Amino acid sequence: MRAVHQRYHREFFPAMGAYVVLMLGSVWLLKRIDATWLRAIVTLLPVLPLLLVMRAIVRVVLGQDELERRIDLEAIAISAAVTGTGYFAYGLLLNAKVIAPLDGATVAIWVWPILMFCYGLAKLLFVEPRYRGEAE
Amino acid sequence: MNNRLRELRVERAWSQADLAGQLDVSRQTVNAIETGKYDPSLPLAFRIAKLFQLSIESIFEPGIEG
Repeated sequence: MRAVHQRYHREFFPAMGAYVVLMLGSVWLLKRIDATWLRAIVTLLPVLPLLLVMRAIVRVVLGQDELERRIDLEAIAISAAVTGTGYFAYGLLLNAKVIAPLDGATVAIWVWPILMFCYGLAKLLFVEPRYRGEAE
Repeated sequence: MNNRLRELRVERAWSQADLAGQLDVSRQTVNAIETGKYDPSLPLAFRIAKLFQLSIESIFEPGIEG
């Protein structure tokens, strides 16, 4: 594994670990506090490690070589198009009252995971195979 | 674009990983260039030429563009 990816793992996994801990902690705490300002702080706590995750992602993208960056760029472009179109279609279905609406929090919270999931799938299934030659 | 990267590498008995390490790119990138799946940027092409002590045009040549 290249040094840039080793650094990414060193930065990404602890940040994601902290995110999981803070997310579980904030859910537990939110059931026990009422003050709006305190609820706002507690519920946003998991965003802090996500900023570190974003930093790790930016650093790995900038540290990769030109083909790796291109692959990531193409995968995220496909992911953005799929996610955006999916949400748009969902909005049209809601507008036509064809399906029952989910609550706004659920819809908003799932944007990032869906974007990342589609990125991973696009990279694995469509983008990387286009640049893969026969084995050495 | 066609290139002689694999031929030059094999002449020196380097693996793709060896070459990737010297160029500071991934093995995936070396493989993609060798198999014509990816054309390197001009700076990378210059690094490759410098490593093999050849001119760019003696390593890369225009192919049939679609």
